[in-house]
Amino acid sequence: MKNYCVKDLMVPISEYATVPDDATLFESVLALEKAQEKFQQSRYSHRAVLILDKNKRVVGKLSQMDFLCALEPSDANLDQIRKFKKLGFTRKAVALQQEEYLKSAPPILDVYSTAAKLKVTDLMQRPTEGEYVDEHASLDMALHQLTAGSNLSLLVTRGKDIVGVLRLADVFAAVFHAMKESESQLSDGGST
Amino acid sequence: MRELEKLFDRIIQRVNINLRELEFDVNPMVNKLVPTGQMTKFYAFYGITPHHPLNLVFKHSNLSGSYFLGRCRVTNSLLYKSDIRGDELKKRGDLFQYQEFNIPVDQDEEIRIDDSFLIKTLVHNFSHDPETLERFFIRDTVSTHYANIHGSPSDGCYLGPFSTVDLTTMRDCVIGAYSYVQAGEISHLEIEPGTVWVRKPGDFNFMYRYPISQLNNYIYFTGGSPPQGVFMDFVEDRKEAFQRVFNVVNIENSVRVPANTSLDRFAVVKPKTKIGENVLVAQRAFLQNSVLGRGANAQENCYIINSKLEGNNVTAHGAKIIEADMGTNVFVGFNSFLRGRPDARLTIGKDSVVMPHTIIDIRKPLKVPPGSLVWGLVRNAEELEANSMPLNAFSKIDTRVCKGSMLFEGSGRSFVSAFQERIHHILEANGAFYDGNLNRGHAQRNQNISFNTIQPYPKGDKEGLYPTIIIQP
Repeated sequence: MKNYCVKDLMVPISEYATVPDDATLFESVLALEKAQEKFQQSRYSHRAVLILDKNKRVVGKLSQMDFLCALEPSDANLDQIRKFKKLGFTRKAVALQQEEYLKSAPPILDVYSTAAKLKVTDLMQRPTEGEYVDEHASLDMALHQLTAGSNLSLLVTRGKDIVGVLRLADVFAAVFHAMKESESQLSDGGST
Repeated sequence: MRELEKLFDRIIQRVNINLRELEFDVNPMVNKLVPTGQMTKFYAFYGITPHHPLNLVFKHSNLSGSYFLGRCRVTNSLLYKSDIRGDELKKRGDLFQYQEFNIPVDQDEEIRIDDSFLIKTLVHNFSHDPETLERFFIRDTVSTHYANIHGSPSDGCYLGPFSTVDLTTMRDCVIGAYSYVQAGEISHLEIEPGTVWVRKPGDFNFMYRYPISQLNNYIYFTGGSPPQGVFMDFVEDRKEAFQRVFNVVNIENSVRVPANTSLDRFAVVKPKTKIGENVLVAQRAFLQNSVLGRGANAQENCYIINSKLEGNNVTAHGAKIIEADMGTNVFVGFNSFLRGRPDARLTIGKDSVVMPHTIIDIRKPLKVPPGSLVWGLVRNAEELEANSMPLNAFSKIDTRVCKGSMLFEGSGRSFVSAFQERIHHILEANGAFYDGNLNRGHAQRNQNISFNTIQPYPKGDKEGLYPTIIIQP
């Protein structure tokens, strides 16, 4: 496992779904769909869209979760209900109260059409310090960063540029493969 | 007056430091809320009885119009027309039960108020915090009109008007107007106005939230002006009656008071009121043309008007009952506002529990069936249906239920039992079960009480400040 480095496993940025920072949520989803179509011919399954500024620098990431959150109905009352977890209620109880509220609340009209027009920059996650990893970093280092920050991916850097994305699924596959190899060597009587 | 202003600034700064994480500034909420001229105008007073320990210490504080009973120490604080009632404090040698622990109390408990500004606030009961058994502390705290701090040590908190914190230790919290919190221990929380929250971790969790636009009709408070709405109008309309009882030195009872009943001399009793045996009427209670049956009680800031209480009724601090008929054993929680009309009476059947901070305000007659649990805003039969349940049905909840704006999770049986046990305890403590020999409570102990008054510096830099005063047996 130590023999791997980050750049061996990353998805190059050129193959990743990207949109400019003035794109809408709908344009982001279209970009993701297009990248998925390419996936049919390649090994990559795309689950997020990167947002680029005018200088083609990555300024944020929109995940499938961010997309679904944008579709969640929202008003001041629902925001309050979602805070009930702080007061000791379980997620099930919060969902129950939310459902009850939505039954009696005025209909939230055309939720898809409204969400489609939202600016992607209002919904994206801006990467934090712990989400960058150098392309030459070891897989151990990347693994630590992923687990410590509960991240689904890391942005891979070369100097000041972002050159790729290291995804949890690819790291998992590499680690699992290494573990399998090691176990099979042990059962064959070999040593590591 | 300069010293008083410096003291105000000191308190505000200390509370704001505690609430910085919530980005809550108390200054606009309370600045000029009580004109400093008012703070020099009223005397403070304290009670002496053979039944309660006496140890009062006042230092560098203003106590305008406030009342003290028991063991209490006030330092660097402003108390405006507040009641600090130390008649339920723990005594040396008591055993405090907490979970599986029986913790001995080393010395008589004391209410200790430091660096706080309390406006028309009631402080009562005893500290339920096992970590601070002998000291019921209130520090770096601001509370506003008709708030209740009931068995709830407080550090660095703000309480909005008509809010109640009950049996809960709170640190660095903001409690919105007309919110009720009973949750054991809370910290760094901002509770929105009109939240009724009763939680016993691991057992049950009850929550109701008032529709804010409706609540604003009853209580509305933003910085820069006094609280407004039906609640304030209601008490302001009856303010004059209290001026008389506070101005007159010797006041005669206007009604017959049985020997085992206590009617505080600072309560207002208007004509045609009948008071039964084992009844407790606390200071600042207001009774008019009403019947209080055997074992009923009216706590501080309660108003009972044109109503009949059959007996063993608990009317908790700040509750108001107007044009209503209450069956036996009906409990009306803190700051509830129950208003029938002369041609639309409210009837509440026996053994019902009206949750703290409930508003029933009707234009047509309404009957609450016996054995009901009622909460929230009820203005008609439809809202009663939405905001009530038979107690025995509530007892059967064992997972979670959502009914309108009410959310409950946990054991309904535990929740109902906790209420019923507490109601029994309150009746017992108030002396409702006194038989002439056993079960003596507040109704019997608070009868022979003397009141003394104390006053502040009348002029100069220290105008409004009370000199250091130590009152001991």
